[in-house]
Amino acid sequence: MKREIDFDAYIRGERPKNFKTASGIEVKEFYTIEDVKDKSEIPGQYPFTRGIHRDMYRGRFWTRRQQTGYGTPEESNRRMKAVLRAGQTGLNIDVDVVVKLGLDPDHPLAFGDIGLVGTSISTFEDMEKLFDGIPLDKVSTTLIVSPPASLVIMAMYILLARKNGIPEDALMGTVMNDSFNQLVGPTKEAELPLFPIEANIKIGIDLMEYCVKRIPKWNILNVNAYNMRETCLDAKEEAAFAMCIAKEYIKRLIERGLDIDDFAGRIGFFSDIGMDFFEEIAKIRAMRRIWAKMLKEEFKVKKERSLWFRTAIQTSGLALTAKEPLNNIARATIQTLAAVLAGAQSIHTTSYDEAYALPTEEAQKLSIRIQEILAYETGITKVADPLGGSYFVEWLTDKLEEEILKLMEEVEKEGGFLECYKKGWVDERIAKGRKRYAERIEKKEDLIVGVNIFEDDEEKPPISISKVYSSTMQKSRIDYVREYKKRRDTSKVKRALESVYREAKKGSNVFFPILDAVESMATLGEICEALRRAYDFELRIG
Amino acid sequence: MTKKRIILAKLGLDGHTNGIKIVASWLMEAGFEVIYMGLYNTPEKVVKAAIEEDADIIGLSFLEGSHIYYAERVIEVMKSYGIEGKKLVFGGVIPPDDVERLKEIGVTEVFLPGTPREIIISKLESMIGERDEN
Repeated sequence: MKREIDFDAYIRGERPKNFKTASGIEVKEFYTIEDVKDKSEIPGQYPFTRGIHRDMYRGRFWTRRQQTGYGTPEESNRRMKAVLRAGQTGLNIDVDVVVKLGLDPDHPLAFGDIGLVGTSISTFEDMEKLFDGIPLDKVSTTLIVSPPASLVIMAMYILLARKNGIPEDALMGTVMNDSFNQLVGPTKEAELPLFPIEANIKIGIDLMEYCVKRIPKWNILNVNAYNMRETCLDAKEEAAFAMCIAKEYIKRLIERGLDIDDFAGRIGFFSDIGMDFFEEIAKIRAMRRIWAKMLKEEFKVKKERSLWFRTAIQTSGLALTAKEPLNNIARATIQTLAAVLAGAQSIHTTSYDEAYALPTEEAQKLSIRIQEILAYETGITKVADPLGGSYFVEWLTDKLEEEILKLMEEVEKEGGFLECYKKGWVDERIAKGRKRYAERIEKKEDLIVGVNIFEDDEEKPPISISKVYSSTMQKSRIDYVREYKKRRDTSKVKRALESVYREAKKGSNVFFPILDAVESMATLGEICEALRRAYDFELRIG
Repeated sequence: MTKKRIILAKLGLDGHTNGIKIVASWLMEAGFEVIYMGLYNTPEKVVKAAIEEDADIIGLSFLEGSHIYYAERVIEVMKSYGIEGKKLVFGGVIPPDDVERLKEIGVTEVFLPGTPREIIISKLESMIGERDEN
């Protein structure tokens, strides 16, 4: 409907719809020093609520790390260079769902999804093309991929470094490697048809073990809190579940015989920032405090670095609207500001056109510009934790800490996150979250400008929407993989895959045979299939 | 009156389910019988289920951009099974420029993000009405 002049707006006045945060915490009219418990915290000191560094962005800005990846490895390489040229300071590579599920492009169900929301990659050659002209010892890269595919992608990455004469200890970056969030959130429906969860975690630990021992600057895990949150969970659920997931991995890494101080500092998080400005900032501050206390008190770490909660942040895609998409520039800017004030280590500012498709190059450049404007023009980087000491922010941080700990206790009482996941408890929470999300918008408890308040006529969005890949891309990927399979030494490939199968069956670390298999020209899908066979698991898709 | 039956499914490997789950609960509350097929289906599987379940509508949800490819495939399979008369409805993150193209291919209706519950329900109900009159 066309918006009419509202002549009564002034006299009627406007005010907030309610006085609760997005996760339902009731807030008062104002806060005073009486509401703040601990008045002595300092940035860079335990429990690190106010940031992991004393000088924070005075010493070094966050890394501008937009996700890239679509189409063929060559197309993704061009976009990676384009975002670096536009001012990005780190890479963040996303693979397509075909890779995420551990399949090759020639799988019967793959065609329609090849290269759509990440790069298609299947062979060592693909990895060479993907990183062509990019120095692996200078650029820090996050690989957004989970087991089983994370092992294969990481093997390709290491082999590429070797081929280019770069020692493993010069590699900088992160492999996400979180078994609970391969695709979207931790729903059984999305994950269980593809790989058994225990085996998935086990082989993920195999990769972590290798990295802990061999690649000292590499982050072994990025707990994917973002994907969980985007299934409509709230801020405290995101934080609590992420912490509980981290605990599952920590316990297993210790069981593997690793020293916690050798790996705790190499676990990172991938967090979301939604629209409730102060709550999101308080959430990240609370997570830092919870992590530090947990590592100190429960896991008895000795090194200070092991106490640092480090997080990559992506601004919420769920918060973006398809209606009036230019408004998303404002939303993303506010969320990016929150990420900076929260003390993020790296930021992906979701682009305004992502309510429709992957971002155009122009939209991605704008996201980078938003971060650059915040970093260089606003002055917010000149003081560590500028919101520290705000009565409200400190109170909300304490309150969220309390709520998050309560929920973590609930998960622990239910047997830990894996147990909760297996018995459907997590799925239930997500189902409730989605219902709540839809209802709040419908009942106008949550107001979204242009969607359920101040709607205006708009036939079509006034933006160009990305058609990123060429029409022949998908077929060319299938043809390529088929052709690649023809020019290999088949018996060598077979032997290498048998070795992956055998070692997995025995329960040994499968990463070593996977390195050999990639070198023998086995494809990603074939290696993942060997693992599935070893665990007597058949894909349940199609 | 028999219950209004709708199949809801995702095709291919796209695992995003926020939208389809919310719409499924809306339709159930509105008295539809929802046959939720979930993730990772082929067009053949969905079309066969539509026949077996005698569904009035096939509803498919997309987020990744595979909607044009699957629209063509589903219509092809529907024709080969002789059920091109059944209504095919798409929803999800679909660029508005593609809506017309989808309708040319044979998709009856496309619901974009932000479409209110009552519009989805009333359009689906009127579609079923149309079928009964034929």
